[in-house]
Amino acid sequence: MSAQEFLDLSVSVSLGVLALAFLLTVVRILKGPTVPDRVLGLDMLVSIGIGFIVVIAIKTGYYLYLDVAISLGLVGFLATVAFARFVLQIGLRAQRNGSIDPEEKRNA
Amino acid sequence: MLDAILPVLAGISILAGSIFSLLAAIGILRLPDLFTRMHAASKAGTMGAGLMFLAVALISFNGSVILRAFVGFLFVLLTAPVSAHLLARAAYFAKQPMTSLTRFDDLKDAPPPND
Amino acid sequence: MNFAMVSLILALVWVAITGNFSAPNLLMGWLISLLAMWVVRNQMTTPILVSRMRRVIGLILLFLYELVLSAFRVARLVLTPNIRSRLKPGIVAFPVTAKSDVEITLLANLITLTPGTLSVDVSEDRSVIYVHCISVDDKQDVIRDIAEGFEAKIIEVFE
Repeated sequence: MSAQEFLDLSVSVSLGVLALAFLLTVVRILKGPTVPDRVLGLDMLVSIGIGFIVVIAIKTGYYLYLDVAISLGLVGFLATVAFARFVLQIGLRAQRNGSIDPEEKRNA
Repeated sequence: MLDAILPVLAGISILAGSIFSLLAAIGILRLPDLFTRMHAASKAGTMGAGLMFLAVALISFNGSVILRAFVGFLFVLLTAPVSAHLLARAAYFAKQPMTSLTRFDDLKDAPPPND
Repeated sequence: MNFAMVSLILALVWVAITGNFSAPNLLMGWLISLLAMWVVRNQMTTPILVSRMRRVIGLILLFLYELVLSAFRVARLVLTPNIRSRLKPGIVAFPVTAKSDVEITLLANLITLTPGTLSVDVSEDRSVIYVHCISVDDKQDVIRDIAEGFEAKIIEVFE
C-alpha cells in the first residue's frame, strides 16, 4: 500500500467514524434532559463539524475549506457563549421568582 | 522520502482525531451528568479538532495553508476551554442537577452572580 | 520590543496568511495591523512574552503534553464497562496565588484542558478558582498538583 492510498483509506474511514460520532451526539441532544445538556451537544456537533470540513479539505485538496472550518468554530463559540448567558439568566430568574426549590432539584 | 512519510503521518492524525471525536461523543452519551460530560467534550473534542488541523499542516506543503491550519488549531485551543467554563458556570448557578455520585461541593455556599 | 516592530510582525503574518508576497499586499497588511493596534491602543502593554521565550515555550510544551494525557484518560474512562464505579466527581476550591487577570485566565483555561479537571467559577475577589474534578480521592492532592504544576510555571513566566 502506498502512502497516498493509506491517506485515502484513512480519509474514508474517518468520515465514517465522524458520522457515527455525529449520530451519537444527536442522540444526546434529543435525550436532553436539560437545556445545558443540549447546548453541550450542539457545541460538540460544531467541533465534529470542524473535523468533517477539514477532512473534506484534505480529500478534495481545496484548502479554502480551512477558512470555512475556522469561521464555523467562531460561530459555534459565539453561539455557546450566548446560550450560556441565556441559561444563566433563565436560571437566576426562576430562582428569584421562587418557582424552583434549588436544594430539592439538586438532590433529585 | 518526505513524500512517503508525511501522508502516512497525516492519515494517522486524521484517524486519531476522528476516534477522539467519537470517544467524546460516547462520553457525552454515557456519563451521568452535565459536568462529567463536559470533561469528555472539552478534552477529547479539542484533541479531535486539533489533530485534524495538524493533518492538514502535515500534507499541504504550502506556507499559508500551514499557517492557517496553525491558526485554526490555536483558535480551537483558546475557545474550547472558555466556552466550557462559561457553560459550566451558567449551568451551576442555574442549579443544574449533579449526579448522586458527587462527593463534595466547595462552591455550594458561594453567592450567585449578579448578572 | 516597540509597537513599530509589533505592527511589522503582524504585517508579515498577514502576508503569510493571504499567501501573496507582493509589496502592495505587505503595505495593506501593515495598514490593517496599525488600525488593529489603534483599536486596542488602551489595552496594549509592552509584551513580556518575547523576553521570556524559553519559559513560554516550556509552558506550551507542558500544556500540550497534559492535553494529550488528558484526552487518553478521558478515552479510557468512557470505554470502561462500569462507568459509575470509576467516577468520584466533586467541586474543589483551589486557592490561587497568582494575581493578575492574565495569569488567572490562563490558569483557568489550562485547568480545563488538563486531566480530570474543569474550572467552573472564579470567586469575586479572585482568590479562589472552583474546579470540578471527575475523579478525586483527596482534595489536597488536586490542589497540590495544580499549584506545583501549571501555577508555578505561569508565575515563572509572568513574575
